[in-house]
Amino acid sequence: MVDWQKLVRQRLSNLALEGAEKDEVHAELAAHLEESYEAFCREGLPEKEAVHRTFEQVADWRDLQRRIFIAKRSGHPMQKRVHQLWIPGFLTMALSIVFLVTLQKLKIKARMVSWRDSDIFFFAPWLVSLPFLGALGAYISSRAGGSRGTALLASIFPALALTLTFLLMFPIDMIIEPIIGRQVDFSIVATVLLRDGIGWILVPGAALLSGGSLVHLWLSQRSRSQNPAIS
Amino acid sequence: MIGSGIKRGTAELAILSVLEEGPLHGYEMARRIEAQTKGALRFTLAALYPMLYRMEQRGWIRGSWETSSNGRRRRCYRLTPAGKKKLSPLRKEWAELFGALKRLTKVAHG
Repeated sequence: MVDWQKLVRQRLSNLALEGAEKDEVHAELAAHLEESYEAFCREGLPEKEAVHRTFEQVADWRDLQRRIFIAKRSGHPMQKRVHQLWIPGFLTMALSIVFLVTLQKLKIKARMVSWRDSDIFFFAPWLVSLPFLGALGAYISSRAGGSRGTALLASIFPALALTLTFLLMFPIDMIIEPIIGRQVDFSIVATVLLRDGIGWILVPGAALLSGGSLVHLWLSQRSRSQNPAIS
Repeated sequence: MIGSGIKRGTAELAILSVLEEGPLHGYEMARRIEAQTKGALRFTLAALYPMLYRMEQRGWIRGSWETSSNGRRRRCYRLTPAGKKKLSPLRKEWAELFGALKRLTKVAHG
């Protein structure tokens, strides 16, 4: 009896796809060959002939490997990026902002934590919501075929966008303030940068990432359990 | 038998058409197409899967792992809304082409 899984894995061992995607292709093709072989056997062909007829389905494995790779990478890169990163990322960010604004409208007070003569603000209910929003971003990205890296990027997108805003805001501020005649105290800027960086980027980013990582882990495990070829 | 160039062109239409009837895994899809075209269109594994993956990347079909009645895991494909949208103009294009060829060959033999 031919081990179709093993055979396909050997013949398509150089298929240049990521681990899980490659395993899925191997499992799918092996299932097809197995079913073809069984159909030939049911037609009354001797085992050797059934195996031979099944093998005839692929004349050139290297060519098949090349064509599968091209087909799998044929989607428009920009379109894929939109579905795998930008849509889930912006959705995560929009929901996190809407929830934060709603909490502020409901007059829910932020918790203040003192650290090195500075007060860092923490919105506990908002922080609690972030793992769920990070999970949503990673889930949408993964469903659109996003890799682990892309799914995690989508989950922490709000924190990344805020980082970019901070990085742009402070240099711009430091240029504008002297122009309008104000003195810039670099120690104050550094303290503010550190304080807001922790309160608005690091901690929320970690919360988003925890949700995104959990969902990605769950999806990977589900994919493995559904696909026996993935070990 | 129909030539390989025409077969390539009609393959997308064939796949979208059989998937319009319901979700199918690759092997069943190939069998269904062969049976419905009385053997004129025959998909080997090497021809079918690169085509399916390309159509999946274009968003016309979507594959997901499902358990069949005999307990086996199979990757089933179904039409997406984009695939359904693609099917109608594709059918029209091919109907026009075959209509034109039919008229041409009638004139040639007439």
